[in-house]
This record gives sequence, C-alpha cells and structure tokens, in this order.
Amino acid sequence: MEGASTRGVLSHLSLLEVQARSRGSQVPQQPSRVKELKAKVEALTSQRDQLKAELQIHKKLQKLRAPVDGEDEEMDVDSESSELFHLMARHSELTDLLHAHNLIGGYDAITTNRGKSMCFSLATQYEGVYLDTYNLELNLKPNVRISRHNIPPFIPLNSLAEQSDLQTDVRAFLATVSQHLNAFAGRRQQLKLVKEQHKSVEVMESNLLCSILVLMFTVPKKKTPLLCMLEYTDHTRCLPTQVHLNCEDELLPDSPKWKKNCSLLMEVPVHRALTAIKKASDIV
Amino acid sequence: MSLLKPFSKLPDLNTANILLVENEEQFQQNLADTLVEETAVTVNVRLAKSLPLPMENDESRPRIDLVVFIINLTSDKSFESAKASLKYLDPGYFLGKVCFVATNARHASVRTGCLDALRQLAALLHCPLLFAEDQSPEGATSSARRLLTILKVASGLVPNTTALYLSSLTRCTMPPDIDQPSFD
Amino acid sequence: MDNSAKHLLQRLVRRIPASMLKSTLDKWERLTAEKRKSLDFTQSKWIITQELVALCEKSELTVKHITELEMIYITENPNQGMWHTFQLVEPEDDAHSVELMQFKEQFKSHLRELQRNVSVKIKKHTDQAVWIRVAWGDGLSSPNHLKATYVVLYLQTPYVFVNALSSKHKPLLLQALTLSTRHQQIKAANLSGQKLTALRDLLMRQYQQVFPTKYPSPLAESDQSISKLRVEKVQAEASANRHRMAGETFGDGMLPALQSAVFKLETKFKDPTNEAMTQRDEPFICSVKFSSSNLLESLRHCASSGIASTPVTPMLSSIPLKGRNYFVITDNVLTA
Repeated sequence: MEGASTRGVLSHLSLLEVQARSRGSQVPQQPSRVKELKAKVEALTSQRDQLKAELQIHKKLQKLRAPVDGEDEEMDVDSESSELFHLMARHSELTDLLHAHNLIGGYDAITTNRGKSMCFSLATQYEGVYLDTYNLELNLKPNVRISRHNIPPFIPLNSLAEQSDLQTDVRAFLATVSQHLNAFAGRRQQLKLVKEQHKSVEVMESNLLCSILVLMFTVPKKKTPLLCMLEYTDHTRCLPTQVHLNCEDELLPDSPKWKKNCSLLMEVPVHRALTAIKKASDIV
Repeated sequence: MSLLKPFSKLPDLNTANILLVENEEQFQQNLADTLVEETAVTVNVRLAKSLPLPMENDESRPRIDLVVFIINLTSDKSFESAKASLKYLDPGYFLGKVCFVATNARHASVRTGCLDALRQLAALLHCPLLFAEDQSPEGATSSARRLLTILKVASGLVPNTTALYLSSLTRCTMPPDIDQPSFD
Repeated sequence: MDNSAKHLLQRLVRRIPASMLKSTLDKWERLTAEKRKSLDFTQSKWIITQELVALCEKSELTVKHITELEMIYITENPNQGMWHTFQLVEPEDDAHSVELMQFKEQFKSHLRELQRNVSVKIKKHTDQAVWIRVAWGDGLSSPNHLKATYVVLYLQTPYVFVNALSSKHKPLLLQALTLSTRHQQIKAANLSGQKLTALRDLLMRQYQQVFPTKYPSPLAESDQSISKLRVEKVQAEASANRHRMAGETFGDGMLPALQSAVFKLETKFKDPTNEAMTQRDEPFICSVKFSSSNLLESLRHCASSGIASTPVTPMLSSIPLKGRNYFVITDNVLTA
C-alpha cells in the first residue's frame, strides 16, 4: 500500500492532463503565415515608436514655451512674488551651504515626518579618518525634544541638552554633542592604535568611555614595571588632563626624564607619545 | 472610491492578466512565479494586499482579466480583508472573472464556521472556490494550473467559451445542509 | 574540601552542559593539565562529577576556587535566568573618574558595612563589563554560595544588570552600588529578560537602528529575469513604506531578543454597550503581556506586513525607544 497516495487516481488524471496539454501545444502552425505576421508586427512597432518620439518632442517644445510666457507676466504683477523668489534663492543657498558643511565633515540634517521632526547625522573623525556616524532625531513640535538616537548612554545627552538650551539654540547643542562624540571616537581610536602599534605596552585598564587608561610600561635596565594612569576628565578633548605614574622604584617618577615624558603624554596623543618615549629608550 | 473595471481598457494580443489579492502576501509570490512560466500565452501577474489599488500606477496597469482572492482560513483577518476588498470591484467582474482560493482548509486551527462562511460568500457571488495547498511547490503548481484554465477563458483566449459560461459550471454552490451544524 | 564545597561543585557540574565542561575547566586553570587529562569526558555526567570532586579534593581546592569556576561559566553563558535592569541617576561630580580598583574596594567595604558575612567576587570581562558575584549570608550564618547574585555593570555608564536578587537583599545591593559608583540614586529601569546580551544591546544602542538620510544606500540590483518582469506588486510603494517605518521604529538587521513586554493598564473602562462597567469610577486594572522568542522581531514583522498599522503606536515603539519592557498606563499619560 506504500505509495498509494502518490499513484492514486487523481495523480493519474493529472498525468493524463499534462500529456494532453503537451500534445496540444505541439500542433504546428503554418510557417509562412507566422512569418508574414511577424513582419507586420515589426512594421507596426517601428511606426508606433516613431509616433511616440514625435509626440514627446511636441510636448517638450510646449513645456519650454510655457514658463517663459508665465514668468514674464508674474514679474510685472507685483513685488510679492519677487520676494518669494528671493526667499527661494535664499533657501537653495542655505541647502547648498548645509550640503557643503556635511561634505567637509559637519553634521547632515534632514527634515522628516512632514516637517515635524529633523534627523541629524553626526560623523566623527580622528586624524583625517572617518569613524562611526551617530544619528539624532529631534521632534520640533510642540517644543524641541530628542525623540531617538543611537548615541551611547555614557554621553550625557540630556544634561548637554539642558546646558545648551535646546529650545532656542539647536546649533550650539549639536556642536557640543559633536565635540563629545569626536573626542570619544578619538580616544577610542588612540586606544586601538596603542594596542596595535605598541605590543610591549600592556593596557591594564580602560573603560567604555575611554576616559581612563592604565598602561603598564617596562623600564629597561632592571625591567622595572611602571604603571601609568591617564585620566581624561575633559570629555570634549582627546588629550589627558592628568598623568599619574606609579612604580616600585619611588624615585623614578620624579626623575627629570620621566617628568618630561609626563608632560609629553599630556600634550601629544598617547600612541605618538609612546613612540617618542620608546625612541628615547625610556621604555621597552 | 475607485472601482476596478473589467472592460475599461483594451486587451493586448495573446496576453492574460491576473490579479492576486492576499492579505498575508505569502502564497501569492509562489503562485505568481509558477503562473508566469506558462509559455502558450503571456501571463502578467499583479500582486496586491487588498483593494482598492493605488491610483498612481493606474495608467500603466493592464486590463485585469481575473481577480483571485487568496484566503488563509486560519486567519480571520485574511477573510475580513478579502470581504472588504470585494466592494472595490465593478459588478462586471462577478460575471465569471472573480475566483476564491482557500488555503490551510485542513489546518487544525481553522475556526469552525469559517469555511462555511467562505462557501456562502462564494455561492452568493457566483464565483468558483478552489482549495490550495500552499506549503509545497507541487501545491503551487497544481493551483496555478487550475487558475490558468480559468484565466485563459476569462481573458477570451479560448474560442467558443466565455467566462460567464464557465462560471455557471464551476461556481460554488451552497450545499443544502450548510445552515445545519456539521457533525464531523 | 568540606561538604558545602563538594555540594556546590556537584550542583555546578550538573548545570554545565557536557559539551562545554572541558572548555570551561580549561579556562579555570585550577587543575593542572595532567589532572585535566586524566578526566574522561565521554563518561556519564555522574561519574565525571565523582572524579572531579576527587581531583579537587586532592588539589585542596576550597569554596573560593569553585566560585571562580562558576563565575567563568556564567560570564561565558550569561543568557540564562532572569536579568533585571537598574539605572543610576544623579551622578556626583567625580562619578566619571571612578576606576576599577577604587570601585572594587568601595563596593566591598560598603556592602560589608551593610551586611556581615557576604562573599563578593569582582572580575572584569574582556568587553569592559565588570562582573560581580555576591553570595549572601545572614548575620550569623555563612554566605550561601548556592544562591549567588550576579551583577553586571559598565563603569561610567548608568545601567546595571542584576540576576537572582531576592527582595531582602535588593536595598543593600542597590545602596552599595549607588555609593561606590558615586551616584545619588538608583531606580528600576523597567527592563528585564533572559538574555543579558539583548538587554545590553538595547540600552547601549548597539543594534542597528535606521535613520532617515538624504543619501539612502544604493539599492541592491534587482533580479531582471522574465518572471520578475511579468510579476508586479501593485502596492509596492505602500509596502516599501511600511517596511521603512517598521525599520525606523524597531531597527534593522538582527534585533535584541527580548522575550516579553508587559503593559499594565489602570484606565477607566470605556465601552458604550456596557454601562455598568463604564460608570464605575475606579480604574479598570488589567495587564497585557506580549511574549515571543524575539519580541522586537515579531513587532517589526507585524508592522511591515501590515498586521499592525503604521506609523506604529507610541506604546509599541517606546519599547526600543525608551529601552524598557514594563509599562504602567494610566489615563492620558504613559508613565512609569
């Protein structure tokens, strides 16, 4: 009884149906008649195309003529429309400026939700390399409010909004947010570069915000380990505000050589400072 | 409200156009892929979720020869949506150019009475009601074959037959005991 | 090794799936490679457990070491049990400079001040997460390692994830956390779920969100075969629109796997056909729970397939927007 379902009466019928169908389509047509019809089709198609092209040209000509006439009249009528033209020109100028601003690395803005909200995209960069892009959507009505964003939670967006008076000065707010994001991306990139370029330096600790960085150096000669803690208290910059050294050899951090190194770490991005310190063979 | 009309546009040579309406938009794609494999006639398929169709592409849309409502019996929404869409069809379509396809009729979660309601609707509108199996490719092939037969007639490609004539033979008829509760 | 350590080890081995037992033990590094080799992992779990207990006894391991093993297992497999989220608010001025060593000391001392006999273990995971294991003891009894609470937090971020915390110990833990991270308050973030990674991704916004842009990415080249030319979706624009809206609300690609969302309604009953209920003054209380193996994915599908209307109602869209899955709805306002 196995396979009864596949070889039942109905499937046999449908097999017969398929056979009948294939036989039906095989009925040959007279070749000469087909050829004749095909030629006719071709002739008609080319005629249709020609007519279509003519029609299009006529339409275009009409379009070109129409605005010239209309504009002349309007300009004469009143100054109101000239004001409108002025505004339109101003609008396109501003759009171009915004576009240019975005091209040189600024934020990009787009109106969404039928003018009720705006979406900004803030690109971050460090040393000429584009890093992550963050987005921020603001609701404009009834008052300006952040509706959604993909900015990480350790950037204090709400307190930044309070500080920079979001209602009246969106630009200032965006500038601060952008500053925070750029600094964060810069610090993260520095950390990545340190890990890549300086294999001998051990990164003991860092956090998500990249505001604390603890590095372990090895001082040559005695192979003394030296703990260096960089603190980035100013979150809008990618340079540390405090450098703290810790070593078993208590004299070492106070030596003039390391004092100089400390000030170097304060002034130069950490991965480049490390290259310099290494060159002076103060660390392995 | 824009009605879809069966005779407002000119037909194309050796072409049949079918509109598949399915709220879930799942089975219609498989069915469409099988339908266009037909070589004897050019079959154009239009897929929609519900009616009315948007006005924007009204110009470019060919004359629709057959409207098929695909109804998933396990979902009430599917049935309701099809019922609501019927209002946007010109009465001319109900002379043999509308067809219902029910899927999942044997599924365990079909609400009792759903099938009867659909049968009643199809009988009332004098439309054929087909049953399809939507999970396997074979199911799609066999339902496509059945739809093609109706479509060819509805688009006037079969000599000596009309859609109205075919529908008077194939339309769903109400079984006499439909008002009684079924005891299966 | 005393009985409680043995018991703990037995329970732990029972929890670890056989396939992961070897790799977990390798990471533990408390047993020498030789001893680890002597274990036959093809045997039944019960026999392995017996042998492991014997080995640990020989190596004179204590409860402390066993808890290390547990912690390794939990950090590698965080997606079990129920995780609840808390949010630290009102940071002090020096909150941003709290570093790990300082936090460790502070947390331990604060917690010990509040409760005697607690055993605390803090470890930093590779992805910057600080994992804390707390075994609670009463005033007199020693810490109960069988029911340890796990806490995960990222320093300098406001969110804390907690697993298996009893209501008795909740205020103690929260106070210790608030003080040691230099914040003034902590509150429930109304987000819970079985998958820690999903909760984290949702709150840290590490899933792919969609924002409208001026320059949409180039569309993938469409399939131009005959079959595609002849099949046309009449409402393609509407459906593309629905997909876009669903994407903008719930995100794109893989979504954080939340299992449920609960809406607790405390609103007036409104139904013109049911006068008796409508005239009652007190609110009608009911709770609506949506559950799925991946709730956001399901909601996105509902919106993109048109089952739910678009734009999506604020009730559903605030799940990803506010990063929470527990809402209390009173008349007119959507509040905590």
